[in-house]
Amino acid sequence: MLFIDDLTHVYGNGTRALDDVSLVVPKGMFGLLGPNGAGKSTLMRCVATLQTPTSGSIRFGEIDVIREPEKLRRTLGYLPQDFGVYPRVSAYDMLDHMAVLKGIGNARERKTTVEGLLNQVNLWGVRKKALAGFSGGMRQRFGIAQALIGDPQLVIVDEPTAGLDPEERNRFLNLLAEIGENVVVILSTHIVEDVSDLCPRMAVIAGGSIVREGAPQELIAELRGRIWRQTIDRDALEDARANYEIISTRLFAGRTVIHVLSDASPGPGFEPVEGELEDVYFSTLAASRRAA
Amino acid sequence: MFAKIAAFEFRYQLRQPVFWVVFGLFFLFTFGAMTIDQIQIGSGGNIHRNAPFAVAQITLTWTIFFMFVTTAFVANVVVRDDETGYGPIVRSTRVRKFDYLFGRFTGAYAVALLCFLSVPLAIALGALMPWVDKETLGPIRFGDFAHAYLLFAVPGILLTSSVFFALATITRSMMWTYLGVVAFLVAWTILIALLGRQDSDEMAALLEPFGIAAFSEATEYWTAAERNSRNVPLQGVILWNRLMVLGISVAALLAAFAFFRFGERSAKARKKEKLAKLEAAAEAAPTSAIGSLPRPTFDGVAARAQLVARTRFEMAQVFKSPAFFVLLALGILNSGAGLWFVGERFGAEIYPVTRVMIEGLNGSFTIIPIIIAIYYAGELVWRERDRRMHEIVDASAVPDWAYVIPKTLAITLVLTAVMLVGVLTAVCVQTLKGYHHYELEKYLGWFVLPWVIDAFIIAALAVFLQALAPHKFVGWGLMVVYVIATLVFENLGWEHNLYRYGGNPPVPLSDMNGQGDFGRAAGWFRAYWSACALFLLILAFALWRRGTETRLRPRLARLPRRLGGPAGVLTAATLAAFLGLGVWIFINTNVWNEYRTGPENERWRADYEKALLPYENIPQPSVAEVVLNVEIDPHRSRMRTRGSYVLENRTQQPLRQVHVRYDRDLKLVALDVPGTRPVRTYGRFKYRVLAFDTPMLPGDRRVMRFETLLAQRGFKNSGNMTEVVDNGTFVNNYAFAPIVGMSRQQLLQDRSKRRKHGLPAELRPPKLEDPAARRFNYIRADWVNADITVSTVAGQVPIAPGYKVSDVTHAGRRTARFRTDAPILHFFSVQSARYLTRTENHGGVALTVYYDAQHPHNVGRMIGALKAGLDYFQPAFGPYQFRQARILEFPAYAEFAQAFANTMPYSEGLGFIANFSDPEKIDYVSYVTAHELGHQWWAHQVVGADAQGATSMSETLAQYSALMVMEKLYGPDQIRKFLKYELESYLRSRGGEVLEELPLYRVENQGYVHYRKGSLVMYLLKDQMGEAAVNRALRRFLEPNRFKGAPYPISTQLVSALRAEAGPQHQALITDLFERITLYDVKVQSARTRKLPGGRFETTLTVQAKKLYANGQGEEQEAPLNDSFDVGLFAAEPGKKEFGRDDVILFERRPLRSGTNTYTLVTAKEPRFAGVDPYNKRIDRNSDDNVKKIGA
Repeated sequence: MLFIDDLTHVYGNGTRALDDVSLVVPKGMFGLLGPNGAGKSTLMRCVATLQTPTSGSIRFGEIDVIREPEKLRRTLGYLPQDFGVYPRVSAYDMLDHMAVLKGIGNARERKTTVEGLLNQVNLWGVRKKALAGFSGGMRQRFGIAQALIGDPQLVIVDEPTAGLDPEERNRFLNLLAEIGENVVVILSTHIVEDVSDLCPRMAVIAGGSIVREGAPQELIAELRGRIWRQTIDRDALEDARANYEIISTRLFAGRTVIHVLSDASPGPGFEPVEGELEDVYFSTLAASRRAA
Repeated sequence: MFAKIAAFEFRYQLRQPVFWVVFGLFFLFTFGAMTIDQIQIGSGGNIHRNAPFAVAQITLTWTIFFMFVTTAFVANVVVRDDETGYGPIVRSTRVRKFDYLFGRFTGAYAVALLCFLSVPLAIALGALMPWVDKETLGPIRFGDFAHAYLLFAVPGILLTSSVFFALATITRSMMWTYLGVVAFLVAWTILIALLGRQDSDEMAALLEPFGIAAFSEATEYWTAAERNSRNVPLQGVILWNRLMVLGISVAALLAAFAFFRFGERSAKARKKEKLAKLEAAAEAAPTSAIGSLPRPTFDGVAARAQLVARTRFEMAQVFKSPAFFVLLALGILNSGAGLWFVGERFGAEIYPVTRVMIEGLNGSFTIIPIIIAIYYAGELVWRERDRRMHEIVDASAVPDWAYVIPKTLAITLVLTAVMLVGVLTAVCVQTLKGYHHYELEKYLGWFVLPWVIDAFIIAALAVFLQALAPHKFVGWGLMVVYVIATLVFENLGWEHNLYRYGGNPPVPLSDMNGQGDFGRAAGWFRAYWSACALFLLILAFALWRRGTETRLRPRLARLPRRLGGPAGVLTAATLAAFLGLGVWIFINTNVWNEYRTGPENERWRADYEKALLPYENIPQPSVAEVVLNVEIDPHRSRMRTRGSYVLENRTQQPLRQVHVRYDRDLKLVALDVPGTRPVRTYGRFKYRVLAFDTPMLPGDRRVMRFETLLAQRGFKNSGNMTEVVDNGTFVNNYAFAPIVGMSRQQLLQDRSKRRKHGLPAELRPPKLEDPAARRFNYIRADWVNADITVSTVAGQVPIAPGYKVSDVTHAGRRTARFRTDAPILHFFSVQSARYLTRTENHGGVALTVYYDAQHPHNVGRMIGALKAGLDYFQPAFGPYQFRQARILEFPAYAEFAQAFANTMPYSEGLGFIANFSDPEKIDYVSYVTAHELGHQWWAHQVVGADAQGATSMSETLAQYSALMVMEKLYGPDQIRKFLKYELESYLRSRGGEVLEELPLYRVENQGYVHYRKGSLVMYLLKDQMGEAAVNRALRRFLEPNRFKGAPYPISTQLVSALRAEAGPQHQALITDLFERITLYDVKVQSARTRKLPGGRFETTLTVQAKKLYANGQGEEQEAPLNDSFDVGLFAAEPGKKEFGRDDVILFERRPLRSGTNTYTLVTAKEPRFAGVDPYNKRIDRNSDDNVKKIGA
């Protein structure tokens, strides 16, 4: 289990990226959902020992992550939001190198690890090609392969599907789903489907704070009967905003579909809809915006 | 449109920081060069700091360096749009290709030109600064600046702008463009090295693109006066060179236009295809879920694997990068070009022994390793971040040391690779020159190992600074500060290697003595700084930047915690080693030895002059007899001397005082002059004034006894003793024995330094007319009889001047005693080394060469020259005063040959390794040998008074003696080749004269006058007067002055002797040669031949001639020429390889007058070349136009 207590981080320029975040992450896949700039990556970096937070504590099992980052790194798998590659290095060589760095000193074990992972992430056929020539999806698959070296107990995956086309994203999520249920996996994303597809537990982060936490089903259940939908003309949107508490808008065939959160029907023309995780997310964001 | 784009570009570039930074830097550098004495370009001596010549040289120099700047400006123009991603937007507008491309180019070029104005501005402002010595400045003339700017900067900058603009357009990459710049520089360096040799000056002048070669060709023989007043005219080779540069620029711009494509790079489409293929390949493999993966372990095995893998990975990243290959190529070319010509003299090669190769490599590697270390430290420390891999790598379990150590190791190994490539180059050069004695252990021990350690020390500092710095560029900047600080420290006299990071004393090399003790001294400093480097690396480890945090403060906060455990132990160990070694070094450099700095030495010499120069001319007793007992302990660098002098009053008056001085590094254990008492002791200057209890009357003799110790304990910060060494001790009596009377030996020479210390700027010898000057000779040594006993270790040969009367080896010591059989000057050397000897008896004189076993090559040649010399000199000048003539090799700590009485020390670097397998080359070994032997007459039989013209009686006559030996050995052809070198050297050197050039008979120890001009003068005189007459005159001069003490002879006596033997027709020539500075300018204007009826050929020659008299500043005045010159017709061109004696069709002397002369010559054979003074016997300002191809 990962315990995050009262974590606050203020950057040198005064930006308060994390504001008193507390979170308990159990084993299994955990989704951390939030818009860009919400503090997801800062939180991920703090957990991944790349950023020392201003205050607060992080514990993983017995390890005090802030005091002993070296210990956590020994059991950590981390796929950053954005990473580059070294020029003129093949996938195999790079993975082999990462395996050394992660403490697989024995050459035979390393071979097993690298070959197994390359197969698992479907890069065996291109193992001798330079990483620099890989597409975004292939690169992310390489990224998850390196994160899985050494059987880590904590896996952090930061915004892995951003920029992938649907097919690539699908393949990547399948890979994530294969990771055992006995380790802690944090998937940070701003794409609701990533979480709804994979995660038994989740949290929503906004403005540097955790604003919602729970199991997706329960959160959706909380909204049952409170989400209403209406399809309106685009130019009627301003009026609608003034009158209703709109949580999300979406264009469909040139018209605008609005979702409104309300205990009772907000008015004529609205129909009730079965809530989805997206509605949970947007309603949470809308609430936190109002509170701010 | 064009103008608008150009104007936009101009304004855009003007707003960039690059412009202002560069403007500031170039301004500062130039301003510094103008106003600081230590840095000067093109000026110095009599050349004003702001002379047109200096302005042009500064402009030329900066134009080359400006290449990097212009590239930044113009390549930016092309690459910018692609880099910012703004390209497609710009290209979709309606702008035409021509306007877009050349509009921008014009703007950028204009900015570059504007930026370069910083240079003339800095010169002009620098010249106005109040602290600049007014004596070194000329008038500030706008025209000079404009001239240099328009003639050199504008075309030079256009060239680099257009060429690199074209390259940037074609490659669309900043990196490739900069690689192009490097390649261009390399090619330029090679061009200079290849063309910069004697025979291809004109070629170089034409082809060298910046105009440097053309400029130096055009101004080669300019005198100081011309350099201070004239601008080089746009004509001849300069004009052609400038036109060529313009042509290349236009061609480059056309190429840029042709290759430039509007629109997307076509590569994108291909890349997409490739990606699809890759995806398919990845797809092809079946997916198989895997079981549990191996768990990591963190033990020794993993640690070793990490160290190896990291190091290999870091190195692979370096070795696979194109920049590394450019650096390697640069290293090879840099060292190769240097090594190929190393050691050449008069065009003759040397045997490329390992020592010379290593010195060459050291010379070409001075700054490059530092640059590589600085560059790669930045690249490697910041690489994870630059490649955006840092989050992945930093979050992995790799320990921090696995960053620091591999990165430092990688830099060190890269530098090692560069060194090894240098060695490989050197070995190739040796092989290509047919030298197969490979000494890899010397390369490793003397070159690679020291450099690798130094490289590691620098790399550690660079890595440490990069680990602290918040940005790569800050780290680089800090290293540049370090490099500059090192230089500044040196100038300020902060020279101690204990605080100059990575500093160590120089290690002079010798074949005879290897690294001597110098390697060990440097080794202590290397150990000291290595400990420091390790400490810095531990700090770098403890402060390592990991993750996304780049601030230093959080890292500093956790520093104490990081330094616990093994790291703490290691820190303590390195600090203890650092401090311990520091103390040990301090004891050596400051306790056992005196620590002296450059400025301190200067001040000492200035104070010495102020205190003691007044004693210069007070009458002193002469040393008449010398008895010395010298014990050399070569392995401990100690030499003890016990001795006595018999002093004699050779003056006409009673003497009340005797002045005794000794070398600053010498310890005077005892000094006893019975019947004297000390009057004054200058402890700081090692100078004592003793007063006689009863004055010494004329003819009186007194005794002086002394004991001295010349030794060095441990090692010094710099200037370790090279005199007494393991093998190759060579030390003269000024260094190990007391001297009677004051002389100018130790005084400051440099004008500006003298002025800085409040001394008169120059210290010139007394005038020829000063009778008081004749009390001393110019060597300031008396005629003495000597009895010298030298002892050394058993394996070595002890030598001193004189005839060996005994030689005993007993109890591990070899002792030899030498007694002189004729008076010698009280200036001689003592030597000891493991020598081989070769002796030949020649007419009652034993000729011996003492040489090192490694250097047998030219021993026979030296003996041959000694024989030829004795054979010529004895009948020509008079008898040889000794029964022996000895040549002794000494280590290459100095490169000269010297003549002491019957003993000629000869540096191993000078003639012992010369290679004369090409018979075309000048045999300078015989030449130098004959010159030194000549001194046995000219200096050791007759020595001139300490006045103007003294050296014309020794050096000039020794030159003449050597020339005559060479003529007997090789015939007049080699002499002509040699004289051509002498002529060029004389004409070039007189432009660099600091005070004033003097006529030969008033020469003030100016080498280019007494050697170079001296050769020319004597050979011409011999040619005109006849050899017999000249030799008669020299005998006439020598005989009355043989071994003569005060009053010593003066040069007018030599001139009178010559005049007495010369016919009336040569009197004017003697005046011109000895008493004036005379230059000729003879040119064959046209030469045509027609066939006469009867099969004979008539050649008509038109010749322009003038004679000039120059004053000391090089200002010339035409004088009427009325003389007779050689006129010749030839079948081949004189001076060329194919020219032989048979090619001379006609050769006779004809009268020549100022202005146009016409000669009509009839010959039986058809001539192809015609010339006046075709063998360059005269001092001709342009010796290349004396011969002309007929009909052309």
